Amino acid sequence: MFSFLERVDRRIIYILVAVSVAVPLIFNVSLRPAPMATADAFFTAVERLEPGKIVLISADFGPGTLAENRPQAELAIEHLMRKRIGFAMISVYALASPFLRQLPEDVAARLEREMPGQKWEYGKDWINLGFQPGGMIAIQGIAKAEDMRVFLKTDANNIPLEDLPLMKDVKSIKDISLLMQFTGLLGVFNAWVQYFQGPLFLHGCTSVTIPEAFIYFSSKQIAGFFEGIAGAAWYEVMLSERFPQRGSYNVALRVNTGLSFAHLVVLAFIVLGNAGLLFGRRKE
Amino acid sequence: MAGEGMAFFSFAWWEIFLGGISTLAVFSFLYRENPFYRFFEHLYIGIATGWGIIAAVRNFLWPRVFKPLLGADLMVFPDGSLSQPYNQAYLLFLLPMSFGLLYYAILSKRHSWLAQLVIGFELGYAGGLAFKGTFIELLPQLFDSFRPLYVPGSAAESLANIVFVLTLTSSMVYFFFTFKRTPGGIVSRCSGVGRWMMMGCFGAFFGSTIMARMALLVERLDFLIHQWAALFY
Repeated sequence: MFSFLERVDRRIIYILVAVSVAVPLIFNVSLRPAPMATADAFFTAVERLEPGKIVLISADFGPGTLAENRPQAELAIEHLMRKRIGFAMISVYALASPFLRQLPEDVAARLEREMPGQKWEYGKDWINLGFQPGGMIAIQGIAKAEDMRVFLKTDANNIPLEDLPLMKDVKSIKDISLLMQFTGLLGVFNAWVQYFQGPLFLHGCTSVTIPEAFIYFSSKQIAGFFEGIAGAAWYEVMLSERFPQRGSYNVALRVNTGLSFAHLVVLAFIVLGNAGLLFGRRKE
Repeated sequence: MAGEGMAFFSFAWWEIFLGGISTLAVFSFLYRENPFYRFFEHLYIGIATGWGIIAAVRNFLWPRVFKPLLGADLMVFPDGSLSQPYNQAYLLFLLPMSFGLLYYAILSKRHSWLAQLVIGFELGYAGGLAFKGTFIELLPQLFDSFRPLYVPGSAAESLANIVFVLTLTSSMVYFFFTFKRTPGGIVSRCSGVGRWMMMGCFGAFFGSTIMARMALLVERLDFLIHQWAALFY
């Protein structure tokens, strides 16, 4: 009777997972995520920032980990922009280049719609340092530069850094209060940990590397991190509570809710598959 | 929704339309291997490689190497004079560039040994950097592993530290292969505990990997439902 559970076609499972994910997306259902201490720590670190020094955001992700890293980076950027903390976008991953330009522009446009009369401008509120080839050598070069404006020379649009108001008082790593690094790539996160010593370090990882990221959080090498999309969803809840004018806009909650439904289907199939195996053996 | 109100056949319309077609092509693999999937797989690899090359040239090679080397960053006034004198130190760029180009000698059977010089140099500096970096990265973790087994006033933290130390030591014992293990002996039992601890860890890694893959699926379905499908209604 239960033997058919052992022979369910994988394509039926795919369809059921897709439907379970699609339904909450179509009806815009969003479930409240579980609180996460790591995202709390990330949030607190950003809340404590004072205008003056800049934040360096290394968005080292491409289309492969976009689903998790993009909402993380978008929420962190939104938080910084709402607090009027200046930041510089950078990446050591070539495929990240479009996001370095697009992410702050999208968030600024959304905030300007939300708060008519307020403006967030390129050069004053954020800059794009672009893709920096060379991986760990580039990271080490920036960390050791006596004057970052001389070392990097121009931004991604070939504008001399000296001409950008945000970089007026920024010379060395000492003028960076915080490093935010978002990646799903092995080795890139380690390179930043190894060669960018000084500023407080916040990290956004994909779900694959969550267990590994806890080692760095425990040893205080990172002050907080996003546990994949679930961490970003909890951060979004905190952001909405801190800034109620944000309204119902959600970027991570929607994906996280779909993920919860997909997990339920997978769990159901694990239980059913095992039940089929168990009852099938008993019959034999 | 992003697709709503978008001008038909504008650049943004095509961007979302082709993005949806590419996504469906990749999803078609779930049914079975097919030429439609194969074509888009190769297309993606080609685009990613081409993008990397262009990004390196546009963001680094041209503005930071070739532009100053060729003096293209200097302004020429109508009388023929330059905005500033050409810095001849930039000619030194030719030395590492020539050395790096030796890598292409790998394509020649007779001169392939020249490429080994570049590979050797690369391994040398990467090894040196990794040596330094590993210590910077691992030392704080090593210090963090010395934890008190009893934390006054916090039973939860004490328990967490006991579990941590037990996991750390038993996992390390598992990898001691230099002395004989007698079945039922303390080392063997400890190694068994370490094995179970690692199994738990692998389970966590597997679970989180599934979560990451599912997140990719959810994001793509979100795109198909809220952006791509919105193009058609």
